[in-house]
Amino acid sequence: MSTTASDAGTTPPGVSVPELPPAFQVSKREQKTLPNWALKVAMAITGTFGALFLVLHLVGNLKVYTGAEHFNDYALWLRHVGEPLIPANGVIWILRCALALCLLVHVTCGVLIWTRGRAARGKFPAKRNNGFRSVGATLMPFTGCALLVFIVFHILDLTLGTQPIATADFQDHTETAAFAYQNLVADFSRPWAAAIYLVMMALLSVHLAHGLFTVVSDLGAVGKRLRAILIAIGGLLALAILLGNASIPLAVQLGVLK
Amino acid sequence: MKLTLQIWRQENTATSGHYETFEVDQLDSGMSILEMLDRLNEQLIHAGKESVQFESDCRESICGCCGLTVNGRPHGPQPHVTTCMQRLRMFTDGSTVRIEPLRSASFPVLRDLIVDRSPLDRIIAAGGHVAVPAGTAPDPEAMLIDHTHVERALDFAACIGCGACVAACPNGAAALFTGAKVTHLSMLPVPSVERKNRAEHMVATMEENFGPCSQYGECANVCPQEVPLTAIASLQKERLKSFFAARI
Ligand code: HEM
Ligand code: SF4
Ligand code: FES
Repeated sequence: MSTTASDAGTTPPGVSVPELPPAFQVSKREQKTLPNWALKVAMAITGTFGALFLVLHLVGNLKVYTGAEHFNDYALWLRHVGEPLIPANGVIWILRCALALCLLVHVTCGVLIWTRGRAARGKFPAKRNNGFRSVGATLMPFTGCALLVFIVFHILDLTLGTQPIATADFQDHTETAAFAYQNLVADFSRPWAAAIYLVMMALLSVHLAHGLFTVVSDLGAVGKRLRAILIAIGGLLALAILLGNASIPLAVQLGVLK
Repeated sequence: MKLTLQIWRQENTATSGHYETFEVDQLDSGMSILEMLDRLNEQLIHAGKESVQFESDCRESICGCCGLTVNGRPHGPQPHVTTCMQRLRMFTDGSTVRIEPLRSASFPVLRDLIVDRSPLDRIIAAGGHVAVPAGTAPDPEAMLIDHTHVERALDFAACIGCGACVAACPNGAAALFTGAKVTHLSMLPVPSVERKNRAEHMVATMEENFGPCSQYGECANVCPQEVPLTAIASLQKERLKSFFAARI
């Protein structure tokens, strides 16, 4: 069959297209270099990578219930995994760099999508008639910004042990010993610190609940069954990350972990 | 029944508009919102005043030109129903109803309640048609298509181009509209021949005038033809396929 597929973008004869109103137009250059559909794919990939990291992180965190020795051994293992093939701290630094890159891409795309969306809507109030879904979508930039602040806080608190965020008796790990368990219990014994982590886990799961729903469409899943399964997995992940992580500061506050 | 109407009045695109309040009496709860506006205009014309300009044609959910924002909701309070089919029984007697045009930066107001929706036409002109020479009609049953598959394709073809999805969207996106057309054509054998170019051109034209989709789901919530959100996933899928398609 001979096709004229290359003509698909041209206007068929006899059809006149009205002149474009000057009301709202995105510059061709901006549109060509960073089209929205590609930004959405980038957000979906980096967001999913982040969510998968959070699942690994959760599994690691839950080892706290297996006792101080086991948890500290795990923290030490993370720093020496792959030796001697990979130098000490190698794996952890590769992961940190990948996550930082993802975060950079994710936040940049998020800012672009948000500002472009505001411009395209115009100066009219947003309509919210779609319940939880719409509220979750509205909150994305806000839960996102809270996460950004929290990521910095969390690193200062439990990785670097920077005062005054970390506890006074924070102990850094050495070549042969880690004190992750002691640091964690001391940290969450402070009610305000436990409260911050609880609130942040709630915001994180709100971000993930809508984010992982969005991923399904952004990566083009159309089949009814496939969509249902992926949406369910996303919801369960958001819930697991909330319940699993939030249980730890609660357990410390309730005296289950000492 | 009696209603107080707050109606958007605007001379033209260049001027800024305002709300004007009217009282309309002796309405029937079975009347449509458009019939109520007809009644109002009769009153205005009798009084020698300028009538309220709005668009309508079929008044039976086919043409897609009647969309208004009623009490902050595109088309009106009843989900999935065009303005011309929304009945006054949705409102309590004596209440105030606010009527404004479909709101979006890409839909400039031409006059009162009429907006320019031509950016949607541009998306269709960019590829929402069949440009391959399809030849004469094939022999019956020469090209078999599963019946339910055709029905699904036609569910996406049902879009009437009303623009309510754009007006409902907090991002001013036209993804549901574009997705409906792209999906419909990608599901059928002859039009699907052009799917790669179609997705590329229609998405590019869409992005010239409309925002990105953040999955608020407001569009599918108002769509009179109940086009599902899957149309948007399908649009991304078609665009990605087009991106990765081999070019020799
Ligand atoms: C813990 C780290 C984070 C994870 C796991 C995460 C995850 C996700 C996921 C999965 C999505 C859906 C992506 C899509 O398909 O479009 C998303 C969307 C979004 N994220 Fe994040 N995110 C994180 C941090 C952040 C941060 C720090 C910001 C910004 C300050 C942010 C802002 C946004 C915004 C604005 C959206 C919505 C994009 C849209 O409107 O479509 N996120 N996030
Ligand atoms: S997708 Fe629905 S709401 Fe949007 S233009 Fe088509 S019929 Fe109207
Ligand atoms: S007037 Fe035709 S759809 Fe309402």
